[in-house]
Amino acid sequence: MSPRMNPMPPLNPYVSRIRDLIYQEAGIFYAENKLHTLQDRCEKRMGELGSLSLQTYYEQLRVDTARSEITSLLNNITVGETCFFRNQPQLDALRRIVLPRIVQAQEKTAVHKIRIWSAGCSTGEEPYTLAMLMLEEKAGLLKDFSFDVQATDLNELSLEHARKGLYGGYSVRNLTTFFRQKYFTSAGDSLQISPRVQALVNFSRVNLFDSARMSLMKAMDIIVCCNVLIYFNSASKKTVIQHFCSSLQKHGYLFLGHSESLYGISDEFRLVHLPSATAYVKADREQGASR
Amino acid sequence: MNLEAKNAIMGRLQSLQQMPSIPASLYPLLKYMEQPAEKVSIQKIVDLISGDGSLAAQCLRVANSPLYGRSKDIDTIRGAVMALGLRRMQNIATSCCVLKILPLDRTEIDPLVFWEHSLGCALLCRHFAKSINFDNPEKAYLAGLLHDLGIVVNVWVLPKEFAAAVELARKREIPIHEAEAESMGITHCETGKILAEKWKFGPDLREVMGYHHDPAHAHDYRSLVALVSLTDLLCRMRGLGHGFTEVREIDFLEEPGVAVLKTECPELQKFDWARFTFELESHMEEVHQLVNMVYRAA
Repeated sequence: MSPRMNPMPPLNPYVSRIRDLIYQEAGIFYAENKLHTLQDRCEKRMGELGSLSLQTYYEQLRVDTARSEITSLLNNITVGETCFFRNQPQLDALRRIVLPRIVQAQEKTAVHKIRIWSAGCSTGEEPYTLAMLMLEEKAGLLKDFSFDVQATDLNELSLEHARKGLYGGYSVRNLTTFFRQKYFTSAGDSLQISPRVQALVNFSRVNLFDSARMSLMKAMDIIVCCNVLIYFNSASKKTVIQHFCSSLQKHGYLFLGHSESLYGISDEFRLVHLPSATAYVKADREQGASR
Repeated sequence: MNLEAKNAIMGRLQSLQQMPSIPASLYPLLKYMEQPAEKVSIQKIVDLISGDGSLAAQCLRVANSPLYGRSKDIDTIRGAVMALGLRRMQNIATSCCVLKILPLDRTEIDPLVFWEHSLGCALLCRHFAKSINFDNPEKAYLAGLLHDLGIVVNVWVLPKEFAAAVELARKREIPIHEAEAESMGITHCETGKILAEKWKFGPDLREVMGYHHDPAHAHDYRSLVALVSLTDLLCRMRGLGHGFTEVREIDFLEEPGVAVLKTECPELQKFDWARFTFELESHMEEVHQLVNMVYRAA
């Protein structure tokens, strides 16, 4: 017999309820194997609030119409920092399945330009990752195509950081030697993204609720919006999703964060499954386009 | 593939002499599983498992694992049934029993990967069944566990041909049944159906094994077949498949299984596929641990 591992401490039944409440309100799902972390984060918030039990804390979340506590809890759970190549299965699916489909759709038209929008790009790791992937396809799949990445965020400080393109620590933890050597140069303890990647990414400050500004984001082939919608209430989410729908080409794809869902939010999009990833396509996209 | 080669394959399948016989405890376990929980005698289950020394040892090992959060040692099968519940113990025993029929040294397909897929399907089938008020979640569990037994037949009876089919599937990143049809002219659905008949499985399991890649053509148990078909597909799309990635895009609402299943389960109309997908992660750890434990104890 192998030595017995210590069993995890039992879960408080209210954690599942809190999980369900978060899913309903924020659209992000914490699987069973994440519930201990969720309980831990709830207990941390309870300590700060002086809540005596998870039941009391659950009630606080339930009546939190301003969503201030759910936002604080989400901030405690989701890692504030982002990194390059954060969701590899999503990126693989984008490169192996989505890009070829978009190329196929565009080949029927006069325009051969692929436009990607990283909505809520934070400090730029995501749009630069997307730009690197496109560059990797430049000699092959995209040889007759031009492409760019629109990267938007509300936070001017994050955008400033992104434009500089200087990264270290957590940001580069998933960076392989291949990408590091090809697209970065050393700058002291940090890494500087190469100018040819920077040239593909256009950073701008955009409020996702600003209809006038959003109407300028047109003809996108791919929108990536990770862990942004979870902070909005249902009505706000619906508004943003409508904007995304208008911005996206008929053959386009919307990617959300890992375990994020649009269930109950939009009839304008349909869920599709890609290998170890999910995405949304327009509901009026031709049926049978899958496979 | 030419007709002569296909006929040769069919000839070898007729006798199934190379196939292992049904594990002794499996048939009675399946019988008990088909009965409503309240009608199953705890003593009969205890006697059945205790009567098979290696099965009892495996069951105790699993029951004592951190997987089930045990804090005290369980040293009898009766104690395990009391601690974990009758249904869970039956599931563990059935899984242990079935897992023995594909030894670790087979190379055509990685047995650990194969059983992780089957067990993942079993757990998810039951969860799916409960979510959409399907009438028999335990049957769904069994159907998920056994749906791919045709692959075991192929490993035993057609090892070279099957290894080539797996290689083709891996290379082209397509489902195994498509590669089998192309290179062998026969799929694990057909060989599974032959096995189900030889092992005298009930008509529902026979249909699951025979039609889980074509639920629209199942006969009397179309909903059960459709349920397994959708769960199998989801497992394969979420990294719990046959050890390689199938590169494709799936819209579950366009799957034939959905059209079949929603006639019997109206809840499917408003089913949250995203949440169901994320819930699969909850079962991953249990699946990996259980399969590893059973093989280590074998």
